[in-house]
Amino acid sequence: MAKAPSLISLRLRSIASILLLIAIWEIAGRAKLAPPILLPPFSVVAAQLWQSAADASLFVDLAISLMRAFAGLALAGVIGILLGMSMAHSRAANWLVDPIVALAFPSPKIAFLPVFVLWFGIESTSKILLVAFACVFPVIIGTYSAARAVSRIYFWSAASLGTGERRMLWKITLPACLPRVFATLRIALPVALITTFTAEMVAGGGGMGATLVYSQRFFESPTVFAYILVMLGIGLVLDAAMTALQRRWLIWAE
Amino acid sequence: MRPERTIAGAAGDAAWRVAPLVMLVALWQAASAAGLLNPAFAPSPRAIALALLDLLTGGEIGRNLLITLFRSFTGLALGAVAGIWLGLMMARSRVFNAYVAPIVGGTYSLPKSALIPLFALWFGIGSTTAICAVFLACLLPMVVNTAHGVTTTPRVLTWSAHALGTRERKMLTRIYLRHALPDIFTGLRIALGFSFVLAISSEMIASTSGIGKLVFMYGENGTYDYMFAAIVCIVIVAFLADRALLAIRRQALRWHESAAEGS
Repeated sequence: MAKAPSLISLRLRSIASILLLIAIWEIAGRAKLAPPILLPPFSVVAAQLWQSAADASLFVDLAISLMRAFAGLALAGVIGILLGMSMAHSRAANWLVDPIVALAFPSPKIAFLPVFVLWFGIESTSKILLVAFACVFPVIIGTYSAARAVSRIYFWSAASLGTGERRMLWKITLPACLPRVFATLRIALPVALITTFTAEMVAGGGGMGATLVYSQRFFESPTVFAYILVMLGIGLVLDAAMTALQRRWLIWAE
Repeated sequence: MRPERTIAGAAGDAAWRVAPLVMLVALWQAASAAGLLNPAFAPSPRAIALALLDLLTGGEIGRNLLITLFRSFTGLALGAVAGIWLGLMMARSRVFNAYVAPIVGGTYSLPKSALIPLFALWFGIGSTTAICAVFLACLLPMVVNTAHGVTTTPRVLTWSAHALGTRERKMLTRIYLRHALPDIFTGLRIALGFSFVLAISSEMIASTSGIGKLVFMYGENGTYDYMFAAIVCIVIVAFLADRALLAIRRQALRWHESAAEGS
């Protein structure tokens, strides 16, 4: 067996890999291997990115999209936690909600976009609600299974110390579920982003997705690439932020 | 272990589970009949059922559904094959992993639908764009889950296989992939969900055919009963595909301890 490569050399290879990709992109663009409309060189894309940032149009789009994604995710979080906990506590609620979740969970929620546009218009409301609809089912399932897995010993101890049924929900079930609910929300975040961007691409109404598809229709390729890079960056930053939050606030979860 | 159940008992269970859905539809129908819902915005279940019947007998939905299924399954199959290979390589070679990991990590969190306009720019409007988008979306969960399954292979398994004289090449299929199979199925299930989302999204954004385009078109034309009927079709097909995958998984993993849990 060959000697195991050191950590530093592995890191260097990772950085080299990304730089190599950018270099190939730049050279291929400059050498006109593909028409510039299909593959603008990296430097041109970077310049476009700088310009979009300078005239603030990028930040306006970004703010609209993030507002929609987070509003939808928050709504899904609140509804999903409530439904998931009531399913775990009440057999009637479980009977009522479970078949709906089972049917809706695997379905591609983006297909409902025209319904939401019909009912709530093309502005933010329809998008926020669609995002909530797309994210709520994983949250329900995650909360339900987390609430079911809470150790009986906590309930027995609290009951013997005289804790009421309602306080039990707030003081025991919810804190005990929180780490897994948060993990579910972390999985739901990319779903919220993809749903927001796709809804904007299909139905317009401003935001990153709308500008992206608009630029593509008018063959403004540098803008297309610049916006995709920003979306990639957003995904990375938000995932890292969620991981950091998870470490910092949910210390009691092992 | 569950006790043996009779067929009548199982049918009763199924009816008990479907009852809330039936109730919901009945409630909706009653509200429509009582004039509480504006039929222009929320067509009654009866109107939707009639539209569905018309679509099914007319063959329009079958044709477009086949196109969508072709796109999503082609993308899924390509993504699964490439993803399993990449995941296996990343788990077995640290150097390969170092080169590929940042690219995989970077595209993992990219909302894949963002690439649809780019693919539309490159490949035009139609199946290629949809298949490419589905492929990329399916690739990443396959890579991540396969790599996880292969890296967690217990040493005992590899040592025993070596001791019994298994060749290095056979180790891949007989030990590593075999051990990763439950994780590969987990990845497949996620990828299956993505494949429908991406196929339908790209049909709505850049296509002239497929069920996504059909739904979008009915929405634009204002024939909302047909739009709802097409959505009902999508929901049912996605549900059945998910169930079929679970059934295949149960069959393929009969030997695995997760099969004993009866999930």
